[in-house]
Amino acid sequence: MTRTRDDIELDLAFHVNGTLSQAETAEVDAWLAKDDALRDEHDALAKIRAEMQAEEVSSPGAFGLARLMRDVGQTGAVAAAPQAPSRTWMWQMAAGLAVAALLGQNLWLRGGDAPGYQLASAETSADMVVAFAPDATEEQIRGLLLGLDVEIIAGPSALGFYDLGVLEGGDASAAITGLRAATGIIESVEDANY
Amino acid sequence: MGAGASITIPDGIASGRNHDGAQDMSETHHLLLQQIAKGDKQALAALYRAYERPVYKFIVSRLNDPHEASDILHDVFMDIWRVAGSFEGRSQVKTWIFGIAYRKVIDVHRKRARVTVTDDVPETTDVQDAADTTYAAQQEAEHLRYCVGTLSDEHRSAISLAFYEDMTCAEISEVAGVPEGTIKSRLHHAKKLLLHCLSGRLGTGAVA
Repeated sequence: MTRTRDDIELDLAFHVNGTLSQAETAEVDAWLAKDDALRDEHDALAKIRAEMQAEEVSSPGAFGLARLMRDVGQTGAVAAAPQAPSRTWMWQMAAGLAVAALLGQNLWLRGGDAPGYQLASAETSADMVVAFAPDATEEQIRGLLLGLDVEIIAGPSALGFYDLGVLEGGDASAAITGLRAATGIIESVEDANY
Repeated sequence: MGAGASITIPDGIASGRNHDGAQDMSETHHLLLQQIAKGDKQALAALYRAYERPVYKFIVSRLNDPHEASDILHDVFMDIWRVAGSFEGRSQVKTWIFGIAYRKVIDVHRKRARVTVTDDVPETTDVQDAADTTYAAQQEAEHLRYCVGTLSDEHRSAISLAFYEDMTCAEISEVAGVPEGTIKSRLHHAKKLLLHCLSGRLGTGAVA
């Protein structure tokens, strides 16, 4: 197969790092022998690679390993969690409307004199309903919830929402404020008692 | 966390630059991952020793922040600890690990909403007029660092994996999750920008 000069030029970096096949290397070599400009480019790339390879970097080394072993000891092994389905803005909007409707219905039922219907299994002590940001890590979520004295009571729902409850002695309004401030971790917060 | 069946790897097996032993190394590292999935901390430590330096170098080349790079490196290995069991062996362990690091740095850039120089030709207003042909190697290295720093993250990643790690086009493509043609194109563009930048800073007639 005969390739054009442009094709060969695209392969120069891989000729320099020695990862081309024998046949490809021979083809590039043939071009370098007859094309001065290509050879100059090749030599410049080789020099760049040599400089980069020679660059000394001080990595975390033993300290990094010690830190890793410490944190691994704290968390223990965690099984691979299934990826949460990605949410588009339309999906989020639909989910938000659904939650709003549920909360509105809840408010309406509470507002009336009659106790209304309630399923035995539907009783909940959730203080808030949240959706976590898709890229929030377990570590971030755990740190946030522990810091605000809240715990996950139920979830995820089919729409990806979690019911949270405030631990004994915790402050629900402060927790809600804290959750709303954690925009990188929490996608939405609804006060379940409002 | 049982550490009984831990595997240690020879000191010579390290960053992936030894192409002759690449197959053996990949198999060894795959075994390490299997042990990690069972909760073997010593296997994690062995994998850390094998990849810590090259992965850190890759991360720091894209972030220019040693402290943040250390944190990202830590996160990469915490992820490996958590999800080792999900490695199916369809790719090399090396490209799998670099792929995790690749995506983590992208997340950092997204969170920072950092504006990167992309396809623009770098400014050369600070070219040293007094440049002569006797630049010390250290000065050249500084110029190279500067010029690499002007590249976009995509270009920087491609050049780092090609020249720090000596990865094949297919391996870089796997790490970045884009076709090989895209990698070649990114490298070509990165090369042009680098040479242009260097020729300006060094005052030489480097290929532009």
